[in-house]
Amino acid sequence: MTDPHDAITAPNADAATGAAARTGSHPRHGLDEVIHAPVRFSIVATLAAAEKAEFAFVRNTVEVSDSVLSRQVATLEKAGYVAVTKGYVGKRPRTWLALTADGRAVFADHCRALRAIAGAGEG
Amino acid sequence: MGEYASSDAAATLARAEELGSVVRRGTRWFAWYQVVFGCGAGLQLLIVGLLKPPYAASFSGVLFGTVMAGLGVYAGRQPVVRRGFGKRIAITVGAWALLYAAVLVPGFICFQGAAAWWMPGAVAVALPGLIGGYLEARR
Repeated sequence: MTDPHDAITAPNADAATGAAARTGSHPRHGLDEVIHAPVRFSIVATLAAAEKAEFAFVRNTVEVSDSVLSRQVATLEKAGYVAVTKGYVGKRPRTWLALTADGRAVFADHCRALRAIAGAGEG
Repeated sequence: MGEYASSDAAATLARAEELGSVVRRGTRWFAWYQVVFGCGAGLQLLIVGLLKPPYAASFSGVLFGTVMAGLGVYAGRQPVVRRGFGKRIAITVGAWALLYAAVLVPGFICFQGAAAWWMPGAVAVALPGLIGGYLEARR
């Protein structure tokens, strides 16, 4: 005699696990792949506290080279998270970076997921 | 792995907080901006209220125009602008405009040349900038 419970519960458990993975119940599913990269996260975290910031200010704050920052900002801009504007202060050309509304929302979700993961580790 | 991920997440959040602090330090210039605005507004009102009419309007206009132009250049040269800058400027300028009208209109009608009216009035008009600067410095 086989236990009918085994026959029924095993496939159901698999289905439940699969469904949880698909719906993303774990906090890590709230992490954004674009922001998750360390340098991009630092850029976005810097811009999140500001209305806008000069390219050089972000470069010095995040401690990266011009070329690295340019590359990462291009990725963030392509994702629609960062807006880049160019202008002049006197005769000097300046590049300003700012988070878009989408970028702010995604960063807030990303931080929420990070807090949930950090909290789960403490508990 | 789970424990590593949680400590990693905590470290990432700590880094975000640290970067936020650097940005906040970089936006402290806005405290001075508001203090100078407040002082300029108070001085301008004193000149309008206490100087003789032909000189008052032109002198106060030149003074306040210079202060505002200087603040505009100063703000434009800053490498980072605090979040909510526009909203805070609007609140400060809005409060200043209300107080300015509340002091100026009765002052012109009833208290022309009366220092007892214009001096407290100048302090009142300076308050939005001074309070804004104080709050900004405390962030």
